[in-house]
Amino acid sequence: MNRKMRGRGMASSWYGIARTATIDRAGAWAELDDGGTAKIVTGVTEIGEGILTVLAQVAAEEMGVRPEDVTIGDNDTSRSPEAAHAGATRQTYMIGNSVALAAREARDMLFTEIADHWDVPAGSLRAFDGEIWALETNLRMTMKEAVGTCKARGVVPVGAASFTAHGTGLDPVDGSGSPWQAYVFGTQIAEVEVDTWTGEVQVLGIWAAHDVGRAINPRGVEGQIEGGVVQGLGQALMEDYQTENGYTTTHGFAKYILPTSLDIPQINCTIVEDPDPLSPLRAKGIGEPALVPTAPAIMNAIYDAIGVRIKSLPATPEKILDALRNHVPGREQIAQAARQDRAEAHRRGL
Amino acid sequence: MPKIDLTMDVNGRKVAKQTEPHKRLLDFLREDLNLTGTKEGCGAGECGTCSVFVDGKLVKSCLMPAAKADGAKIETIEGLAKPGSLTPLQQAFHKTGASQCGYCIPGMVMAATSALRENPSAGIEEIKERLGGNICRCTGYTKIFEAVEIARDVIAGKLPETALDEDATGDSFIGANVRRLDAPSKVSGRLKYAADIKMVDMLQMQVLRAPMPHARIVSIDTSEAEAMDGVACVITADDVPGTDGFGVFVHDQPVMARGKVRHFGEAVAAVAAEDLVTARRALAKIKVEYEELPGIYAPEDALVDGAPVIHDYAQDNVIKHIPIRKGDIDKGFAEADLILEDVFTTQQVEHAYLEPEAGIAYVDHDDVVTVLSPSQNITHHRHMLADILALPINKVRFIMSAVGGGFGGKEDMIYQGMLALAAMKTHRPVQLTFTREESLVASAKRHPSKVHYKMGMKRSGEITAIEFDMLSDGGAYGMSSEGVMRKAAILSCGPYEVHNLKVDTTVVYTNNTPSGAFRTFGGMQAQFATESMMDMAAEALDMDPFELRRINMMKIGARTHTQQELTTASLDRVLDAAEEASRWETGAPRMRGGQRQDLGGPDTRRPCTLGARIGDAADTETKDERVAS
Ligand code: FES
Ligand code: FES
Repeated sequence: MNRKMRGRGMASSWYGIARTATIDRAGAWAELDDGGTAKIVTGVTEIGEGILTVLAQVAAEEMGVRPEDVTIGDNDTSRSPEAAHAGATRQTYMIGNSVALAAREARDMLFTEIADHWDVPAGSLRAFDGEIWALETNLRMTMKEAVGTCKARGVVPVGAASFTAHGTGLDPVDGSGSPWQAYVFGTQIAEVEVDTWTGEVQVLGIWAAHDVGRAINPRGVEGQIEGGVVQGLGQALMEDYQTENGYTTTHGFAKYILPTSLDIPQINCTIVEDPDPLSPLRAKGIGEPALVPTAPAIMNAIYDAIGVRIKSLPATPEKILDALRNHVPGREQIAQAARQDRAEAHRRGL
Repeated sequence: MPKIDLTMDVNGRKVAKQTEPHKRLLDFLREDLNLTGTKEGCGAGECGTCSVFVDGKLVKSCLMPAAKADGAKIETIEGLAKPGSLTPLQQAFHKTGASQCGYCIPGMVMAATSALRENPSAGIEEIKERLGGNICRCTGYTKIFEAVEIARDVIAGKLPETALDEDATGDSFIGANVRRLDAPSKVSGRLKYAADIKMVDMLQMQVLRAPMPHARIVSIDTSEAEAMDGVACVITADDVPGTDGFGVFVHDQPVMARGKVRHFGEAVAAVAAEDLVTARRALAKIKVEYEELPGIYAPEDALVDGAPVIHDYAQDNVIKHIPIRKGDIDKGFAEADLILEDVFTTQQVEHAYLEPEAGIAYVDHDDVVTVLSPSQNITHHRHMLADILALPINKVRFIMSAVGGGFGGKEDMIYQGMLALAAMKTHRPVQLTFTREESLVASAKRHPSKVHYKMGMKRSGEITAIEFDMLSDGGAYGMSSEGVMRKAAILSCGPYEVHNLKVDTTVVYTNNTPSGAFRTFGGMQAQFATESMMDMAAEALDMDPFELRRINMMKIGARTHTQQELTTASLDRVLDAAEEASRWETGAPRMRGGQRQDLGGPDTRRPCTLGARIGDAADTETKDERVAS
């Protein structure tokens, strides 16, 4: 066996979007504001995934302004409508859709006034990037002027909305039920190099293909995939919180090892869009699903490289060396061949 | 203790201050100068969030006594660019989306600035090595590398300055790479996290934690601590006015240990004092008498007859069991040509968000008890805290401060209750910031799991039956365990249509650090087992792993493990996309790494040998790279 062995492995995954086996809900308020700007208030936000930017994009698109014109209110149980929690890959799906609906309502209020002002049907109005116009006319003005006109007519264009995802509980006996209304799927491939002298595994490449419904911000989606992959890699190869008779023995980052810049494979993302038919934005989510296939893909790649299957995470150098020491070249293959022969015999009815 | 006089040049301004001799440079910058862009992620030199320049050299300010920096020239994240502007590197971070939660980012920007100052033409391998002392838990580093390379080339004039601009938007903002709106405040260190905020008259809290994993509390004597100068209050479970208990599914965890401690590091009492040092000293004066109890440290041990009982309500130590049944597994296994059986385990994993838990509580002018913290679930926390405080729900307010990474780990209300109680007792703002060690012992982890797996297949590759049995260690409190087991069960057998299955997921109490919500909520543990089995089966059947998955995958109209009919399904598309993107060479997974032709492509990185890029040996290497480029 060469000292450094390379291999590849793949793994697939699936995941549900938003809260599990229950109804999920989120609320939002919207206002088209002076100067053609916009306000969004909703009760949950950014934990780093980029939802603020996604919500600004959604609100801008719906209200005809630009993302940088959108102000998003603080998350505060006393000052904003309930949007439940920041987790469960529900931010884009739940909050995104409630913001889209609230923004749409505010825009419709404005459209009604402007349509009346211009004497055109409201359905002929369009707004984008700070401008509003009526189709097949020369009528056009800035959103700043439109909000001014609307307010001069005595109307503040506001909206409020709630979005619901209809999951159902599971039967206590057979577990049957419809836990989510939207599912995503993913597949990742890992390419590794195993140092058979030190037991060290380096992941050199990851190819990650994930269905996200619709990518509101592709760069943000990539960021979630890259972050998820690296957390998956950490769990696959190094991270291990340990206790001994209940006492923590990994009480700092000197003992609890995390991936650093030197551990990072080239991550090649492919975004697949299978739109969600049940929600206005048609987007689904990516936060959690990105992590699921990474560790098994790496374990499958290690097997491809050295013929050793690690069934107990993490695949630390010690574990790899140990497995190699007990490794009879071809043993797994012989066992598999025997199984195959038995299966063959069984199939022929012997 | 006598104070010391310090003089420094900080971000081009002369600073002369008296301070306490125990302060680290990090404390001096944050507390005395309010330069909170420099963060404390670990306090031990391990994470790099506290990186600053001292006389032009990149230094971890948590490791340097402030006195040692006397007379030095200090540069912090706040000093890199004039207010309102960003350096090319910061602009590049903004452009590529290199900041997510942002907590590591000031330190990362400092380290990257240092890298480009030391070697303006550093190659990617050198950049990686120079960032090696800075941990980022969110981004996977990839967009950070991209940003540093763009900035390097713009600074060197190899790329036009427009390379730092936002990508153009077409006729829709949906699907556009709009730059993150929160990035400027993150790359410049301006965003305030809970630990960065100061309020007038604010007290500091410290928590006394259980020194053993399972014990009865015989007595707690706080009198000596309470009598200390500078101590505003000491709180214990006795101070809880309402129904004491929180948790995501079952409210089994008291704000502070009540009657007994169930895991090492559990909160037992807390002190609010004029300053941190006084609060710490007061902790040492609290006398707790414990009577050790036999504990459970492995989930299997929780289920044996006569095992110690950890929570009275759960005499069998079971937090939750989720069963899923579909079809007839006996029939399914009888139809199988091949049956594989194996055991898979996963470890307990720490979220390691770079921002340790922190929060502030105060009682406002309307008598509303307000808690500001990086909570991932302000809605549910408000409900629970209202019950705990016996207040109407509109008299409790949660504000979600900027979250420096969560990943599920900030869904549990493990400290907000203590803050609220102290604020109510003192009518002053109270702040608590965890150390990294505290965060590690007190916060929930990813559930460790053990899966017994049995899979039956036909020679054709079709799965005929699966039996899946998972046992998980929930640790001392229920937290999200129930939901994690449910999700693990629902997703268990992967994205494949299996007609006969029997799935059980069980989580039990032990005296280990609690397990809770963590990105994938059980889905990862379950599918690690399934995807390993799928490859083992593919080898046994001499079949390409993609092919085996295609044979079994859920399609539109498939019935999931919980018998839900799917109206959309995209596994076929993601399989095709991944196979094509990776130039996958078809073949059964049987140690063919040595022969495959699809390895080492331009879409992989080079393997690395530590230390080979910077310094003598590597000089040649990077120079060669430069010549080549
Ligand atoms: S290295 Fe200083 S806080 Fe982590
Ligand atoms: S962005 Fe780096 S730790 Fe969150």
